[in-house]
Amino acid sequence: MRSTEEFKKLIFSLCDSNGVSGDEEEAAAVVSRELSRFMPVKTDTLGNVTGERGGCKTHILLDAHLDRIGMIVTSVGDDGFIMAAPCGGVDRRVLPAAGVIILGKEKVFGVVTSTPPHLSKGGKEVPDFDAFSVDTGLCGDKAKELISPGDRILLKTNQRRLIGSRISSAALDNRAGVAAVLRCLEMLEDKKSDCKLTVLFSVQEETTGGGAKTGSFSSDAAESITVDVSFAASPGIPAEKSAPLGNGVMIGFAPSLCREMSKELVMLAEENSIPYSRDVMGGGTGTNAESVAFSKGGKRAALLSIPIRNMHTPVEVCDVEDIENTARLMCAYIMKKGGVVND
Amino acid sequence: MTDTLKELCSLYGVSGREDSVREYIVSQLSPDCEYSVDNPGNLLVFKKGRKRPKNTVMLAAHMDEVGFIVTYVTDDGLLKFDNVGGIDVSVMTGRSVRVGERLIPGVIGVKPVHLLKEEEKKEFPERDSLYIDIGAKSRAEAEEFVLPGDCAYFDSDFVTFGDGLIKARALDDRAGCALMLRMLADELEYDTWFAFTTQEETGTGGAQAAAYTIDPAYAIVLETTTAADIAGVEGEKRVCELGGGPVISFMDKRTVYSRELYGAAFEHAKANGIKAQAKTQVAGGNDAGVIFKSRGGVSVLAVSLPCRYLHSPSCVIKESDMQETYRLVKLLAEDFSVR
Repeated sequence: MRSTEEFKKLIFSLCDSNGVSGDEEEAAAVVSRELSRFMPVKTDTLGNVTGERGGCKTHILLDAHLDRIGMIVTSVGDDGFIMAAPCGGVDRRVLPAAGVIILGKEKVFGVVTSTPPHLSKGGKEVPDFDAFSVDTGLCGDKAKELISPGDRILLKTNQRRLIGSRISSAALDNRAGVAAVLRCLEMLEDKKSDCKLTVLFSVQEETTGGGAKTGSFSSDAAESITVDVSFAASPGIPAEKSAPLGNGVMIGFAPSLCREMSKELVMLAEENSIPYSRDVMGGGTGTNAESVAFSKGGKRAALLSIPIRNMHTPVEVCDVEDIENTARLMCAYIMKKGGVVND
Repeated sequence: MTDTLKELCSLYGVSGREDSVREYIVSQLSPDCEYSVDNPGNLLVFKKGRKRPKNTVMLAAHMDEVGFIVTYVTDDGLLKFDNVGGIDVSVMTGRSVRVGERLIPGVIGVKPVHLLKEEEKKEFPERDSLYIDIGAKSRAEAEEFVLPGDCAYFDSDFVTFGDGLIKARALDDRAGCALMLRMLADELEYDTWFAFTTQEETGTGGAQAAAYTIDPAYAIVLETTTAADIAGVEGEKRVCELGGGPVISFMDKRTVYSRELYGAAFEHAKANGIKAQAKTQVAGGNDAGVIFKSRGGVSVLAVSLPCRYLHSPSCVIKESDMQETYRLVKLLAEDFSVR
């Protein structure tokens, strides 16, 4: 099993790969390589990465979305400035003067324009998306040679180690979830569980939700655990919608989620001294959990979330311990369902 | 010059904390430069030329940059902060920063867009609501690393991109410092003073003292100024353009520039095939605003590099503008020495 330090490096490298919604190829290659350490891996029509491992007991699907938010080029101007649209829920408040990478024929650095002070009238208003453009510093011809409509744009991030076990990077949503699934598979390696396992690293969660819908349709799993990120406590966020960073895994309770599974996860967390909190949602979970729960004839579905701060910005923050604890709980569940006692 | 600029931009120094920038500049001075550091921290450099000038000429560029200062550590280990110099809240939200003496990483947090009410989505957050997160879980843990009074900076690397463009933080006014260092590395025609000033961003106090001490007849302020030559902005609203060469100001919010010197700048540019452009808005201000009022008065000229996204983590200038500016300033300094 990787050391904590090596695991941090894995998280950073997962977050570092591209894979803006609908264009997940690069990230898919990275996770395929990781996943193939544990089981045979396939890529399906939409680009979902799936792996399957045989077993005689409960068939469990582990799902984490692979894509990240970003932008998509809509036109390239004669002046070398790029117009773009959001690809997923981009926070416009973090765009002015932000560095970006345009994934054209080659990677092109650019800066999102910001309204100069003499034109902003001192206002606090966030400009509409179409008031922004991306400054490539190139002449129109060169820009058009390298960049085409449909190319994706990433907000540039500084991957940093903060104090203790906390880190900052873009794309922790949801590479943190992907990392938790991979960590769980590592933990299972020296244990014996007879569960049949399907792993689904799904595409397009941030845009269409189509990845989890089609990917889970292809699986006959009886149960599923979706791993995603949720809100960590920070100023201005209601306590009931968040969990403190570093306080462990968030176990979801919602109408679409299987109550028995949620309760069993709580029980296992208690038994194994895994820190956790209850993440209660009155309606939809805003994750893949629903598409998985209702795919085919339906699956018993659970949701585990990793709390992060500043979601959908280039400075997402998480506590690596929370990812570890998410993996531990998933592992405990899979052992409980398929563990061989007194072998 | 670009290498020197990269070095200068790798250093951190908000107003009042210019030490590391000053130390670097001193380390680059040739033995024939005489220098002193005054109480406000200005670095005053005198370099002998081939000839004695008729008039004392001072070039000035400021060493400080805009940034933040930590004002309070919360019970939860978050850092409240204030601005040092003018930074718009729109370029702060969701940015990574470096904090304190050890330059530890942190981020300026935001409430996630998913949880914003419709009204909140339309406006940038209140400046006072922002905080820096260094990953600490408590005040005690945070204070092992950072204390109130420590400074913070945008965490933004030096990137060359596009058609000869440079993106970095603190180009305002390390670009001016780089130009002066380049001149100091040259043989000069006339004895010349160079003032690397402090605290421009918080009120131009450094330059006021420097101008008093040097007592110049003429001064050229080397600066960066807002270029709004971006998509969707036309005509005079663009202020100036990257690639258009040095920007000559006739007036800004602090100074009405010498009409004679303004004219001389364009004459020299034209006669020597140097690109130059007028600043087409009365906006901004710089050290010239205190230099012209020094003692019995000083004739001042501001020569600036056009710079997009000034006072943000991503200031952008063009390398060719630095070359053109250098050529022009050298001619102007010689002219003013004997005018």
